[in-house]
Formats: sequence, structure tokens, C-alpha cells
Amino acid sequence: MTHFGSNDPRTRLRLVAAGVALAFAAVGVQLVRIAALPRQEARIAILEAVPQALPRPDIVDRRGRLLATDVMAPSLFADPWMVVDPGDTADRLVALFPDLDARELRRSLADRTRRFVWIKRGLSPRIAQVVHDLGLPGLGFRNEPRRTYPGVRLAGHVIGTVGTENQGLAGIERRIDAERGPDGARARDPGPPLRLTLDLGVQHGLEAELSDAMTRYRAAGAAGVVLDAETGEVLALASLPAVDPARLSESLDPARADKVTGGVYELGSIFKMVTVAMALDHKLAGLETVLDVRVPLTAGRWQIRDSHPAGRPLTVRDVFIQSSNVGAGMLALETGPLRQRAFLDRLGLTAAMRTEAGPVAPPKMPKSWGRAETITIAYGHGLAVAPLQFAAAAASLVNGGYAVTPTLVADPGPPAPRTRVVAATTSQAIRELMRRNVTAPKGTGRRAEVAGLDIGGKTGTAELPGRGGYDESAVISSFLAAFPMSAPRHVVLLSLFEPKPTAETGGQIAAGATAAPAAGRLVARIAPLLLAQ
Amino acid sequence: MLRATTAFAMAATIVAAFWLYHQSYEVRRLESHVTAEERRLERLQSEVAVLQAERAFLTRPARIEPLARLMGLRPATPDQLAIVKPADRR
Repeated sequence: MTHFGSNDPRTRLRLVAAGVALAFAAVGVQLVRIAALPRQEARIAILEAVPQALPRPDIVDRRGRLLATDVMAPSLFADPWMVVDPGDTADRLVALFPDLDARELRRSLADRTRRFVWIKRGLSPRIAQVVHDLGLPGLGFRNEPRRTYPGVRLAGHVIGTVGTENQGLAGIERRIDAERGPDGARARDPGPPLRLTLDLGVQHGLEAELSDAMTRYRAAGAAGVVLDAETGEVLALASLPAVDPARLSESLDPARADKVTGGVYELGSIFKMVTVAMALDHKLAGLETVLDVRVPLTAGRWQIRDSHPAGRPLTVRDVFIQSSNVGAGMLALETGPLRQRAFLDRLGLTAAMRTEAGPVAPPKMPKSWGRAETITIAYGHGLAVAPLQFAAAAASLVNGGYAVTPTLVADPGPPAPRTRVVAATTSQAIRELMRRNVTAPKGTGRRAEVAGLDIGGKTGTAELPGRGGYDESAVISSFLAAFPMSAPRHVVLLSLFEPKPTAETGGQIAAGATAAPAAGRLVARIAPLLLAQ
Repeated sequence: MLRATTAFAMAATIVAAFWLYHQSYEVRRLESHVTAEERRLERLQSEVAVLQAERAFLTRPARIEPLARLMGLRPATPDQLAIVKPADRR
């Protein structure tokens, strides 16, 4: 006979009771263990879609120094379900953040259909603590990446700006989003830093010297760009007044718009570089060809004369150095409007240009291209271009004659094939003229001379178009410089907007007395940074 | 005979159950440990980002320049440099 356990029912019962007790004891032990262990995780499950800032790659200069980065910052949100007194909560928050709209806040906190409402993004840890200490139920914090710009206003125009969700809105920041695409922008991993061609030291030198020139000459604004003459890499680009990328209002302020890429100007006599190069390249004149500049040129009812007439025929060399409008006009007439237009096309001065930071303001062309336009464009009036576009054209005139496209993002790839735009001999002649313009006693650029540096350049003073014609007292004074002139490595364009006559300039506002010395100081400052590498 | 087998099987079941529970809780414990470490990593990474931003802010040229000038330093001038070998122009 088979038995299960004892026949005695009491022994059986005891056995079963012991088994059950053991099982309960095990459960009890586990319960104690679980309760004793601290709970490591507390997750909030939110069903509502939450708009959240996503990380962006850093932006660094050509040597890897930080220009823009993300730091985590607490953002304040509310769960309207959990808010006990929407009115009181709203009042206390508005007292802390006066820029919040009280009515709107009260309405969204009272909306019980929602479980998530952003109140204020990107707080400082100190402010977050103050909100926390209010002890209001239904409020919470989430850490979000927030864009910071350690250089403050340094290179602000190039960098651009971002919105509340860390999305790129302008400049390089906008390009980052365009490059990554919508999927890339949603990625949790921001990717490697974006390296620009800018050099932090040169950029600061440019900004400091522009600011100094603005004060010295009481100018309304200033703009400057430093280009690598061969590759078109932008080493520095600045427009004053500057913008702080962290303040959207500054980026939107028209007075702070970028003058280097965002505005077009008639740049005046610096255009004579182009005109003289054009005549030389078409072999219509040599440096020693003599032009009779004593007779003013006529175009319709206009008469073009020189501001400081030479009173004698001038060679092409002297037309450049003494900046004769009549001489430049004669060279342009000799070339003819069709070839003039074609030459400007070749230098890229007539087509819309783009950089990685966005489109450059397109050139403003004359309505018709007759005799008057041919003459005025020869000395830089009638065709308005962005300073960056002119600097690129000037670089191709001095670098041996190869086209230059400005670029802001460092590209480790092999250099692009070079396209010739003017003959090497033309480029050589322009280099000689630019150097002479600084060394000659009568040269308009003599105040740009820097001891120990082979600098050359061309001045340009352009009257700003005012009501019913040009205004003689409101000018843009520019200096286009290159160095070292024997084999230029860098091209610098500096423009001062509406400088005022001062004692230092002897009451003058012309570029020779304002932009030229400013450019000299700028080049003296940045050349050691650029050449000693 | 059968009693001994049954008793053994029961004991084995109980031991296995305990072992299984133990493993299950051990996994959870390790998971929470991993989560904690991940959080720590995230926090440290964010601290690094803050420190890097702070360093860049403190070394920004606009701050260094006045300090350097105060110490009697000034930007290098071109005549402090000598061009050793002029680059050849093509």
C-alpha cells in the first residue's frame, strides 16, 4: 500500500501548516528587503507630447577654441492637474518673472485637460532654486540643453542665433540645422563640433580696431573682413554695432544688421582697382600710358571731375595712386560697357553670392548700362555690392589672378581647382600699384604704412545716397589692403560708415585720413598673429 | 521511496524559487546601479560642458586684453618679426 505522509491526520496538518508558514515567511522577508532598499527610480509618465530642446554640436574656431556650446539648464513646467490654486500660482510666478503674461499663464494653469505646460525655459540654477522654494504644487523642472556663447558678442554676426527649442534661426546656427536635416536635428547625439575658418585672435583684433576707429572718427558704424587671399577662407568678419547671439532682439535690430554680408553699398574709389585691372587685362593701357584728365567727362547732363584735379595729364599709375575719377572713367569708356560688364561678371561682382552663413545681399545693378553708368561704375558708384563680395574680387586681383570664393567653414578636403580670372601680369601690376599707393608721397593710402610689413592698398570714399542725390558729409570711407604685397597672403577690407571730421584727421572724412590709418593699425595688430604660425 | 523523492523535489523547487527570486532582484539592483551610473555620467558630462564654457568665457579675448595691458603687455608688432623665407608666388 502506498502512503502519502502519515496516516495520522494531525501530523499531516502540521506538515502543511509548516510549509505554508515557510512560504509566507519567505514573502515577508522579501517584502522587508524591498521596503528597506531605497527606490532608485521615479519616472514621470507624461502622455502629452512635450516640445523639448535638443542638443546641438559645438561651434569652434579654426584652432578649436569654443565659440558656441550647450550647457544643461533647468526649465520650469507645470502639470495643471496637480496645480491647486491656478490664480495664486500664476500671481506668484509673475511676481518672479515679470515678462510672463499673467492672464495667459492663469488660463493655461487652469486648463485641466492638459498635463504639461512650459512656463519658462532655460533658467539659471539660482532662479530655479527660488522657484523650488516657493513650494507650489504642480510645478516641476526638466533639464534642457541651452545654447551659450562664451565669447559674448565675438563673431556674433557669423554665428547667428537659436530659438527657444535650440533650433538654428540665423547664420552658422541655421546652417547646422539645414545640414543635419530634420532627422539629424532630432538626434540625441549632437555630433562632432563644427570648425569655422575664423581665428578668435584675429576676430578680436578686428573687432577691437573697428571699435577704436568708430570712437576716433565718431563713425555710426564699421565693418571689416580678413580673407585668405588664396583660399577665400574668412579669418575674421565683423560689423559694428555687434550682436550678442544670445539676445534675439539684437539679431533682429536693423541698426545692428551685418554690413559685411547683409548690406550693399557703393564702395567708391576702391573699385578703381577693378577698372585699372580691366584696362590692363584687355591690354588697352599700360602703367605708363598717359591720360589727359584735365577735361571733365560728360554723360548727359552730368559732369564728372576730380575732387583734387592734378592739372596735368596723368599716367595710369598716377590715376590709381591719386585716385582720379576722370582717369578711371576714361579707362572704362575705352573698354566699353559690354566688356566692363563681362569683366565684373568674371570677378563675381554681379551675381548673387552665398556663404555657409546664408545668402549675401545681392548686388544692386544699374537699371541701364549706358555711358554714365560705365563712367560712374569705374570709380565705384552706380553698382552697389556687399563688402564681402568686393573683398573676394579684390583677393582674386592680387593673388595671381585666381577666382576666390569666401568660405566660413573649415574644409579639410583637398583644395578646389583654381580658375583664372585675370592674367598673372595684371595681378602683378595691381600689386605694384597698391604698394606704391602706400609708399608714394602723394599716395592716398600713405597713412596705412606699417613699418616692417609690405602692405599695399586702395582708398575709397563714397558719398551715401541721401534725399535728392548724394550727401557730401555722409560717406563710407573704405580701405582695401593686402599684405605682404610681394606675394599677398591676406586681404583686408575695412569700411567706416559716416565718419565725422575730427582734429586728428585735420577735419577730413576721406578714406585717406580715416580708413587708411585704421586699416594700418588693424594690419599691424593682426599680421603677427597671421604670419607667425 | 516515493516520499524521499517527493521531499527532495519539493526542497529543490523551493531552493530554485529562492535562487530565481534572488537573481531577479539582483538584476533589478544592477539595473538601478547602471541607471545611477549613467546619471552620474550625464551629470559629469554636463559639468564638463559647463566648465569648458566657463573656461572659454574667462579666456575670451575681450577679458584677457585689458588684463594683459594692465600687466604691461601689448600686441606684437610686425617689426618684432622677420620673414625668413618669402613665399614663392606662382
